[in-house]
Amino acid sequence: MAQDVIVHIQRKDSPDGATYRQTFHVPYEDGMNITTVLQRISAQPVTDEGEHTAPVAYDACCLEEVCGACTMVINGHVRQACSALVDNLLKEQPEITLEPMTKFPVVRDLLVDRSRLFNALKRSKAWVSVDGYWDRGSGPLMAPRDQEEAYPLSRCMSCGCCLEACPQYNDKEDFIGPHAVSQIVLYNTVPAGQSIAPERLDVLAGPGGIAACGNAQNCVKVCPKEIPLTTSIAKAGRAATGHAIRRWFRR
Amino acid sequence: MAGTITSAESAKEKYFFLLRRLHSLSGLVPVGVFLLWHLIVNATVLAGGDKFQFMVDQIHQLQKAGLLFVVEMAFIFLPLAFHAVYGVVIALSADMNAREYRYGPNIRYTLQRWTGIIAFAFIMFHVWQMHWLGEPFGGSMFKPHDAPASTAAAIQASWWFITFYIVGVTASVYHLSNGIWTALITWGITIGQRAQRISGYFCTAFGVALLLVGMGALWGFTTYHAPAQPDQETAHTAAFVADPQHDSH
Repeated sequence: MAQDVIVHIQRKDSPDGATYRQTFHVPYEDGMNITTVLQRISAQPVTDEGEHTAPVAYDACCLEEVCGACTMVINGHVRQACSALVDNLLKEQPEITLEPMTKFPVVRDLLVDRSRLFNALKRSKAWVSVDGYWDRGSGPLMAPRDQEEAYPLSRCMSCGCCLEACPQYNDKEDFIGPHAVSQIVLYNTVPAGQSIAPERLDVLAGPGGIAACGNAQNCVKVCPKEIPLTTSIAKAGRAATGHAIRRWFRR
Repeated sequence: MAGTITSAESAKEKYFFLLRRLHSLSGLVPVGVFLLWHLIVNATVLAGGDKFQFMVDQIHQLQKAGLLFVVEMAFIFLPLAFHAVYGVVIALSADMNAREYRYGPNIRYTLQRWTGIIAFAFIMFHVWQMHWLGEPFGGSMFKPHDAPASTAAAIQASWWFITFYIVGVTASVYHLSNGIWTALITWGITIGQRAQRISGYFCTAFGVALLLVGMGALWGFTTYHAPAQPDQETAHTAAFVADPQHDSH
């Protein structure tokens, strides 16, 4: 296969630098994915005009779609570079485009700073709070019915796809995002997490909480882990309303 | 000045959830219920001008009790104004991306914002036209004692008005039907994907039915011709006094 894959990449040399595009020709390989493409470009960073340029900066880690690090906008759609196969991408359009996610500040080229995503998880207390080092024994049992509802939510890898596609997630609104809403639902379902459930509901019923959702439902369509985010959102909406009313009557 | 902005910002933050929930609620009750009632009452013109006049007279019984203005303000104007103004705030907070992500719900989400803006503009024009445009500008406006003819005259004044009414009513009906669908999610009633899909069928059916009612009303007023009478107002007042049914409760 002598055919080259043509890849257009949006680049930026520094966080405040100018955005520009470069095109690369990469020799086709069977079963190659976008991470492979980026590796080949790094090995030989020469543009289609023969210009020797800096290797394209990108993030990649697990290479099996469980870490979320390599999330970027590929052919105009947000997804992971590692699981985006060139064969499938070429069926979408003849030449591939790679851009960084638009909802996070670009560090360099395809590398973004996803701090806001993780800060939302901190705000949401998306964890089981353990205050001490002693053996706490086995956790409380969960009914299989609850397990079946909780497990899919635990597959979230904090990749940012739902945030990139969400029209309500932007600089104008302090929305925590579908991923955090779903994690709140998860940790409020898991018995070990329920001790601080009201604190998480405060976040849901607060500024940038569940009420910032506009039901565009892009999150559930783009989620690579097929997490039922809109179901979490509806559950969160109901829980937050009940919580807000109860909170009000307890004053 | 900076202090004022900060306190306004913090108030916006503090009441964020409450405002969004009130926005959702006000769209259903009373604004949505009013739209439903308003279009149904208007569509009675299809059964004849007398039927519509009878409905208007029934509603204007409130005026005799001095309550019409209070009811209009408390249950229609103020909730509608809040829903409209805060709705614009919500619409402006969106980064619409239906071009990049062409999914059904995302397109409906985008349409919800656009139809909201269109409905806002249309309703402002509609209220202005029916209440104040009238004589000072040589147009026609709604007269409760001569309801079918005055409404028909206002709408028939220009083909441009009729077009605007078709667009405005369609936008309002879409906005309400889709708003019911999203409200069912917002309030956590339709939780699963299947429930949301089925509620979507119901909301579509509701929207189509209400659109037919609205278009029926418009058709009724566009084709309405007042019965030829030398002095309609006098004739109608006389009929009103003579007909005991009009005063019965």
